[in-house]
Amino acid sequence: MTTTDYRHEPSVVEGRPSLRELDEIIAKPLESKPDKKYFLALAVTLSMLGIGVIGLAFSFYYGTGLWGNNNPVGWGFPIVNFVFWVGIGHAGTLISAILFLFRQKWRNGIARFAEGMTIFAVMTAMIFPAIHVGRPWLAGYLFPYPNQHSLWVNFTSPLLWDVFAVSTYFTVSFIFWYVGLIPDFATLRDKTFSKIKKVIYSVFSLGWRGSNRHWQHYEMVYLILAGFATPLVLSVHTIVSFDFAVSILPGWHTTIFPPYFVAGAVFSGFAMVQNVLIFIRKIFNYEHIITLDTLEKMNKIILLTGSIVGYAYAMEFFTAWYSGVQPEQFTFVNRAFGPYAWAYWIMASCNVFFPQFFWIKKIRRSIPFMFVLAVLVNVGMWFERFVITVTSLSRDYLPSSWAYYTPTLTDFAILIGSFGFFFTWVLLFTKSLPVVSIAEIKAVAEGSQPSHKDH
Amino acid sequence: MSNSNSDKKNSNIWKSLKEYYNDPEIFKAKANEFNEGVTDDFDPSELKGLSRRRFLAVLTASAAVTATACSDYREKGEIIPYNKRPEGLLPGRPNYYASSMQLGSDSYGILIKTREGRPIKIEGNPDHPINKGKINDVIHASILNLYDPERLSNPLINKRKSDWISTDEEIISKLKTASDAGKEIAVVTNRVISPTVKKVFDNFKRTYSSAKFYSYELFGNENKRAAWKKSYNTLIMPSVKLDKANIILSLDSDFLGREGNTVENTRLFTDRRDVMKGNDFNRLYVAEGALSLTGSNADYRLRIRPDAQFEFVMSLLNEIVITKGIGNSKINNESKTLISKYSLNDFVKNKGLDSLKVNYLVNDLIQHQGKAIVIAGDTLPVDLHIAVNLLNEILSNTEIYDFEKGYNLNSDLSTEEDLNQLTENMTAGKIGAVIHFDTDPVYHLSSLYNYASALEKVETKITLTESENDTSAACNYVLPINHVLESWGDYKDRAGVYCLQQPVIAPLFDTRQAEAVILTWSFGSSKSYSEEMYHKFLMESFKDEVSYTDFNDAWYSALHDGFVVQNVSIEKSAVFNLSSIEGIIEIKSNDSYLLHLQPSYFIGDGKYANNGWLQEIPHPVSKVAWDNYAAVSPSTAKELNVKNDDVIEITVDNKSVKLPVIVQPGTADKLIAVELGYGRNIIGDAGKGAGVNVCVFISNNNFVSQWITGITSVAKIDEVYKLASTQEHHALDDMSVKDFHRIRNIIQEGTVGEYIKHPGFLHDHAKHELFSISKEVKYNGLKWAMAIDLNKCIGCTACITSCNVENNIPVVGKDQVARGREMQWIRIDRYYSGTPDEPVVSNQPMLCQHCDNAPCENVCPVNATNHSPDGLNQMAYNRCVGTRYCANNCPYKVRRFNFYNFRDNFADAYYQNNVTDLVHNPEVTVRSRGVMEKCTFCVQRIMEARSEAIKENKQLKGDDVQTACQVACPSNAIVFGDSSDKESEVSKYRDHDLAYHVLEELNVRPNVTYIAKLRNTHSEEV
Repeated sequence: MTTTDYRHEPSVVEGRPSLRELDEIIAKPLESKPDKKYFLALAVTLSMLGIGVIGLAFSFYYGTGLWGNNNPVGWGFPIVNFVFWVGIGHAGTLISAILFLFRQKWRNGIARFAEGMTIFAVMTAMIFPAIHVGRPWLAGYLFPYPNQHSLWVNFTSPLLWDVFAVSTYFTVSFIFWYVGLIPDFATLRDKTFSKIKKVIYSVFSLGWRGSNRHWQHYEMVYLILAGFATPLVLSVHTIVSFDFAVSILPGWHTTIFPPYFVAGAVFSGFAMVQNVLIFIRKIFNYEHIITLDTLEKMNKIILLTGSIVGYAYAMEFFTAWYSGVQPEQFTFVNRAFGPYAWAYWIMASCNVFFPQFFWIKKIRRSIPFMFVLAVLVNVGMWFERFVITVTSLSRDYLPSSWAYYTPTLTDFAILIGSFGFFFTWVLLFTKSLPVVSIAEIKAVAEGSQPSHKDH
Repeated sequence: MSNSNSDKKNSNIWKSLKEYYNDPEIFKAKANEFNEGVTDDFDPSELKGLSRRRFLAVLTASAAVTATACSDYREKGEIIPYNKRPEGLLPGRPNYYASSMQLGSDSYGILIKTREGRPIKIEGNPDHPINKGKINDVIHASILNLYDPERLSNPLINKRKSDWISTDEEIISKLKTASDAGKEIAVVTNRVISPTVKKVFDNFKRTYSSAKFYSYELFGNENKRAAWKKSYNTLIMPSVKLDKANIILSLDSDFLGREGNTVENTRLFTDRRDVMKGNDFNRLYVAEGALSLTGSNADYRLRIRPDAQFEFVMSLLNEIVITKGIGNSKINNESKTLISKYSLNDFVKNKGLDSLKVNYLVNDLIQHQGKAIVIAGDTLPVDLHIAVNLLNEILSNTEIYDFEKGYNLNSDLSTEEDLNQLTENMTAGKIGAVIHFDTDPVYHLSSLYNYASALEKVETKITLTESENDTSAACNYVLPINHVLESWGDYKDRAGVYCLQQPVIAPLFDTRQAEAVILTWSFGSSKSYSEEMYHKFLMESFKDEVSYTDFNDAWYSALHDGFVVQNVSIEKSAVFNLSSIEGIIEIKSNDSYLLHLQPSYFIGDGKYANNGWLQEIPHPVSKVAWDNYAAVSPSTAKELNVKNDDVIEITVDNKSVKLPVIVQPGTADKLIAVELGYGRNIIGDAGKGAGVNVCVFISNNNFVSQWITGITSVAKIDEVYKLASTQEHHALDDMSVKDFHRIRNIIQEGTVGEYIKHPGFLHDHAKHELFSISKEVKYNGLKWAMAIDLNKCIGCTACITSCNVENNIPVVGKDQVARGREMQWIRIDRYYSGTPDEPVVSNQPMLCQHCDNAPCENVCPVNATNHSPDGLNQMAYNRCVGTRYCANNCPYKVRRFNFYNFRDNFADAYYQNNVTDLVHNPEVTVRSRGVMEKCTFCVQRIMEARSEAIKENKQLKGDDVQTACQVACPSNAIVFGDSSDKESEVSKYRDHDLAYHVLEELNVRPNVTYIAKLRNTHSEEV
């Protein structure tokens, strides 16, 4: 063909597999026993988790003094990690809800997995606000519960908004995810021969029979939930950014933060999802379901959000200069050329410079390239949070109180632990639930939808 | 029991009619005693099955189990109620006792606050004529020494525990043997300014005729005293009415920081920097090598190495006497020929000084004759002091000498020859016994007189000390003595003032008053000791010292006041002896490396090196804590190729010491300044490893004086030693952050000239009306506020220590300071402007500003920090979760976080012992880990004043409360009170032309007002 037929949308699933084949291939990991490689991977993630647990145990026993935090730098690694993981948790709901509302069919292959990652990332993130406090055993004070002391929380504090924003986001994402899983549970229930599995699947499928009415209700609920989740995608990181933006610290007190944080979150979230999917599609032979086209589309979003982030970086400098406020101006000069310049330039190159390679189609479609670039994006995004949190604090208004922050081994242990925690959940997920939505992928398989063009 | 008589009918005890009639059932019941069922579980007959062995086994086992269980039960001590309340003691109410304390060669009047019989804070005695209610850091913090768990608690004989009686017996017999054999008994002391101690020694000498007394000080103004004697030969050396001096020239004299009675000096000096009293400011010129606290307060500072000070004084004399022809008549021809050898112009040229500054100085000195003073530093040699005496004489500056408050010169130290003789005799075995009377000569004098090796040759070595030190470790008898607060005493260092010292607590350990120990030995029997011994002796001695009509009246009123002011006839002037100048030895300055050993600001001669509070106070200039270091100028650092924390090795003759470097702006080139008192070998947990001992460099053969010497070689070595500093050392090296304190209006300054011409210069630029998006809180009634006059604040840090003691601030240790986790609630920020060689120093006490729109408050998710109706920014520790958000959002960074439980983190549970806990102020919560804290404006003092006001049924006024920092400030730079009351002092400061707030533009509305510093320079520009 010399001309492209734009009336016909290319199928998301390649190779015209039959619906049965799709059932089989998606359910396969759940029906087979885990192999050696799986256990090896699990051993690695659990070891990482163990390192984190040890670091945390020491921190609880001796105190937050084991971390690098000091007097001007009250927030260090834990808050950096928190923002990082909440950011990672952004891609999932964006893919499953916003792209659903926009009728982006290519999302069907990756939505389930991305959503799962959202939930695990938010779970990982939620650890940090609890552990970063000086007296974690009193973290319950952050919740507004009626008590005899008539003590109430302070609703003007962005940290409190965080508590609500993140927990709401988690709840809605989780429900959305579960609702999406119901038809798949039913499929699995119907397929399995194991009695135990059957019971479990039956319970979770909530009596799904695949009737027309069921489908009708399901579609409506899914749509409503997508509608619910959409503003949350934007609000969570907006509110996380308020932690910084509402303060009066130069480098934090910035109105650009909400959109900048959301873009950054989507940016890092997509990079992380892309990274993991590359393994999943290879290991589980999903290359025809999670296609190169899909990955390329993700890379385009990475390029877009990366450029927004880059724009924000430049804009921050402009605003600082334009404000005429000396401490503000200095903060940004200090970021780029001060003692933390190394962190700033890691951030700038990983987030702004390297993603520009995605302008080239070949790189966008090359698995090794895109993998490396996405890893760099996540490194860069972690450093972005580091730069924002630490450099601003380490040199604020009074030069007399400036101090350099150096993380300790415990800080790194907890960071490693957070990756261990996240990937342990991811691994368990791949073996216990369908990582691709069976129902949704069938809907976008070639020939699954009624077509009018032959008539 | 009446059972045996139960058959008798007429038993007169009966409980029921049945009993009365001897019902048989009753007999049965009575035989059983307990009702049926009660003893069912226990049938003694069953015990038969238990063999004796088994019974014992069970008994042992149960006893063991019980014992084990009990041993885990923590000993909580006894709580004894006041069944009989001691007179004058009300639980919950503090008692105050006036007393005195010796520090170096000076005594200070103190007021000790006790709660339930335990001293918790030392403050200045407000009525004391010399220090007028103010004391320095060391005295504030010395209360921690009282509760030092490492104090000796019993006598030691050859390191083994012993008791007082046998130790006394043993020592007495040893002393007698020595005395009988005609061998000398040497008593080594520090400067004795107590008349009664002198009598104790006389007593001792009467019993042991071979006794000889030696005294020395690691530092002191002995050179100044010697020079005075040579120049004037009177028994009283006048102090200086600094408040009458228009011009002050300090020659390497840190009279505000560590020389003389710094509290008195500071008060008098800052009295002439009071914007409330007008603009008649004094002008301070400082010529010094190492940047000192005094130098940092100078209006003009000249970088002159201590070896060139002599030439400088002589050149000044030449300029003033020969060139300008001032005081020509006061000087003879011989002296003229001597001084005519020097030329000020040449000196200025050779040393690269700013001739403009020097001209100002000369003109000022001439113009303000009789109203100026030249002060030479204590470490400078005698001959230089004589030259300075002459200079003051020529300029008629003797007019502001204060003979009435002069120093008694009757407490000389031993001469160099005496001490040499002592160690020689010790080495030769001519000394039978050495008694160290609360001194540490092994640490101080080992290099000077080979004291340590000489001591080994002495048979009986005795040390009276509070805790182990280098000397006690070398002694066979170590006797624990009382802390100042457990001791009686008297001091007479100043003419016309007799100070009394009284104990406020019974000895915590089995210690004795040092004087009483000597007295016991004098009586020759251990049984002669009684606890009242020295008390009675002092009362007897009091009779000689003070004239009175009724002894009891005089004694108790003296005890109540803490001092007696005496009318003694003193000569009000002295005649300068010109021959003293003729005999002086000239000092030729050179260009090679020079070492200047200086006193430490806080730890004295090492005596207070085990005091964590003192170790942790940042150095007033460099802000380094827990260590001494080699301070070098930036260009010298370049020459030596070193930066901060690099280690250099300094060699003088054949002695060398490794020291970390601090590049200290303002230091003279090729000068290395090091503080003494650090690096004691034998010391407790707190002081262990703090600093390096540089006493080895003290020598009588040194180039300029004992403490100032040429360096044989100095070189960088391949080592790095991390110094802990509370402020980054970047301000002058890094152009990108230069002068931020001025750009950001943190420090606002002007000159006196500018102020006189235009008092409102500070607020010239039109101000933006700042508005807030939240509703402003209206304050009705009292609202607390503070004002800090930066003209008066010299940066001495007394406020920090006072706050530490008042508010239970923990010691965190060097590693935590290095990590930026010091806990002090108030800090002195130090900023440099100008060039690295000629820095201009600005100090600024920084504490919680108690902002009206406090940014910390709205970010706390749990409302742990909030605002009180009287304008305090409060912390509810119990509610604090420790998110640290408040600290992040505080633009002044004055919040402090408990990263650890600092009470058990530092030095192996430093506070967790039976005694150290007692130092805590019971009115202030002891914070645990994970909690944020900060300055409370001494809310406990406010509450105390409030309850007092309520009790007396009157309105609480702003003046009723004094914060701990305010009480401590020797220059009264801190004012606290009610800002709603427009008549209050604090309001007057707030409305002053020079008043400003730090970071005003943030609209956080701080309640600490700063009064801009005015520099008394000739120009109107800063």
